[in-house]
Amino acid sequence: MNAVLLASPEVRGFGADPWWLVLGKAVVIFVFLVLMTLFTILAERRVVARMQHRIGPNRVGPFGLLQSLADGIKLALKEDIIPKAAHKAVFVLAPILSTAPAFMAFAVIPFGPEVSVFGERTHLQLTDLPVAVLYILAVASVGIYGIVLAGWSSGSTYPLLGSLRSTAQLISYEVAMGLSFVGVFLYAGSMSTSEIVAAQGDYWYAVLLFPSFAIYVISMVGETNRAPFDLAEAEGELVGGFHTEYSSLKFALFFLAEYVNMVTVSALATTLFLGGWRAPWPLSLWEGANQDWWPVLWFTAKVLLFLFVFIWLRGTLPRLRYDQFMKLGWKVLIPVAIGWLLMVATVRALNTEYDFDARQVLIYGGIAAAVLIGLTFVWDFVAARSRNAEPPEVTAEWDPMAGGHPVPPLPGQQRPQLTVAGTTAGSTTQTEDHP
Amino acid sequence: MSSTATVLAAATDTGTGEAVTFWVLGPLAVLAALGMLASKKAVHSALLLALTMLSLAVLYLAQDAPFLGVVQVVVYTGAVMMLFLFVLMLVGVDSADSLVETLRGQRVAAVLGAVGFGALLVFALGDAVVTNEGLDQANSEGNVEGLANLIFARYVFAFEVTSALLITAAIGAMVLAHRERHLPKITQRDLSVQRFRGGQYPAPLPSPGVYARHNAVDTPALLPDGTPADASVSRVLAARGDVRSIPEQASTTAIERAAPRREDDGS
Amino acid sequence: MNSYVPILVLGALSLGFAVFSIAAGHLTGPRRFNRAKLDAYECGIEPTPQPVGGGRFPVKYYLTAMLFIIFDIEIVFLYPWAVSFDALGMFGLVEMGLFILTLLVVYAYVWRRGGLEWD
Repeated sequence: MNAVLLASPEVRGFGADPWWLVLGKAVVIFVFLVLMTLFTILAERRVVARMQHRIGPNRVGPFGLLQSLADGIKLALKEDIIPKAAHKAVFVLAPILSTAPAFMAFAVIPFGPEVSVFGERTHLQLTDLPVAVLYILAVASVGIYGIVLAGWSSGSTYPLLGSLRSTAQLISYEVAMGLSFVGVFLYAGSMSTSEIVAAQGDYWYAVLLFPSFAIYVISMVGETNRAPFDLAEAEGELVGGFHTEYSSLKFALFFLAEYVNMVTVSALATTLFLGGWRAPWPLSLWEGANQDWWPVLWFTAKVLLFLFVFIWLRGTLPRLRYDQFMKLGWKVLIPVAIGWLLMVATVRALNTEYDFDARQVLIYGGIAAAVLIGLTFVWDFVAARSRNAEPPEVTAEWDPMAGGHPVPPLPGQQRPQLTVAGTTAGSTTQTEDHP
Repeated sequence: MSSTATVLAAATDTGTGEAVTFWVLGPLAVLAALGMLASKKAVHSALLLALTMLSLAVLYLAQDAPFLGVVQVVVYTGAVMMLFLFVLMLVGVDSADSLVETLRGQRVAAVLGAVGFGALLVFALGDAVVTNEGLDQANSEGNVEGLANLIFARYVFAFEVTSALLITAAIGAMVLAHRERHLPKITQRDLSVQRFRGGQYPAPLPSPGVYARHNAVDTPALLPDGTPADASVSRVLAARGDVRSIPEQASTTAIERAAPRREDDGS
Repeated sequence: MNSYVPILVLGALSLGFAVFSIAAGHLTGPRRFNRAKLDAYECGIEPTPQPVGGGRFPVKYYLTAMLFIIFDIEIVFLYPWAVSFDALGMFGLVEMGLFILTLLVVYAYVWRRGGLEWD
């Protein structure tokens, strides 16, 4: 039995917590996520309001801090409607299926290093698996089922359209997201979150693998159905998208799941690319910055940074059109991700096999990329000049129905003399003389 | 502890947690699989398939194969989603299975395939029982690393052949679902030009339900003389035969209501 | 096995919360019957009658979905490869390069035939 336990594939230092610690950590994570949700909803409304020269909610509680809570209570007091055409069991199951995985994904996110809690040495992380990141991906894709089933079971057109769109979103951006992880695993040599954080002692992977980071950040917005990729609930087209038919606390659960998912992908981005709980540069010079409970602070700050980016995007960018969205996913992100992955792998293999200096390759690659970007500017400049060289032809004659549409005269075009049927040429000239 | 003892321990010992997991999820997986076969609605079948696959995934996790378990979830959630789409696209949102066979020799092929798969299963299990490596050895370098060593060193050929299988799948999908575009794509601009140049009615079509008794989209608007305006109802509904006919009474009242007003206007 | 117990605990906690919320929403909310409330929502007009049997739905991205599964499987192979990349060395790079190249052929084919166009 002992041997079996030893052989069981677990990450070292995990799976040995006493039961009260496990329960405590789970409750803390749950409360953390709920509080983050309440806070992010309020922050989103306040920040977007600022961006639009408004004030935002500031009445409930100090600075409006209790606004989200008040909204939640209001939702609880609303009538819970199940439409006649709905498939009842699935309709009720969908919000549960959407919420539970959102929370479960957070089980493998490291908040900090090993600390002492009531005399018990433990990691500030609920648990870790040798396949932790893949586990998050799996749990997230189960969560998408909540959305798809919500749309299907509503028995209504708009929700069905919304859920189909969210499926398209999933399939278009999960590939890019999955490919962006490969570089990290390659450098860290592990899929366990705690080991990935440990491997980022010298460099954060956001610096070392910047294209991977950029692809991940784009696809994480796509995966969470957030603006500018919020096509699954595009208000202008689909009313509320997949949750059109939901009311009361079922709707609140979808809302909760969306924000928890935002926190989760932000935490994953922090863990994989921004050094997890490690202190950022000037702070990391201080010895104690990466010990005890301090890392929780750095971790939370980084997650909040990503959440701010989410809000910023929503305040800034208009929603993508559907074909643009699919094109970005399939024709830009995936080829770039694969190309970058092959490059990283080649450099790494040369590095380990022939003791090739990776820094040189990166520097040359950087120079080549800079030259390429410079060339695109030159190209734009030349193209713009050749366009400007030949101004659009303006014929002096004004055709009031050019191209079939009624159009006004362009600059340089003259309004022809109006001739009214039945009048002579002489009378027309007279009208010209006395306008 | 000697290696044989470890192997035996691994083979015979089943922890309580694992036993409980097995006895809860095993029957669930089997029942869901049977339900998948028995259920009439295609969407239900797809959902039950997802449940079966999830149960299997948890069973893999319980047997110390974390990579396999998690991959099972990742791949099959995507695959079942595809099935779901396929159902919506080809069969219909709520419709039941049709029991007419369209492929000739389908049953023979199915039986042959089943027999082949059964034989494969028996040999693979037999091999695993006879040459028992034990969990320790398999996972000695870590589960993921052990798998990588097998796939990318010992079974390289099988791995490369997998790509051929994937190509076949893609080409199959192309054949089934892709419609070649022979004419250039009609853009929004083309449509707009067409509408004005073609000399058709350029303004938006009349909305449904105007002056009628209902405001539903399947109720045509009424013209001032009480006749229904056909253009106000979507062509799709008309083709489906879902357009609500205007009751005689409604149209007469509309005429009566319209008639005196016309006189008023005249005076 | 022990690493999974905490996940189960967190899962049970969130599941309990979700079920509790739904049950609570059922109890705390008012209940006033109105036929119109139970209809499907279509911006205030009476809902379009659904065709008998549900009707088919043109899912235009079926091909893309198939391509997704193919790439998903590629990713599943890529992860263990990436984790033990240093152990596999140059040989690993070459074989994965071949694999990716084969899939890129499919990708290029589908793209070229217009399978990724959205109408």
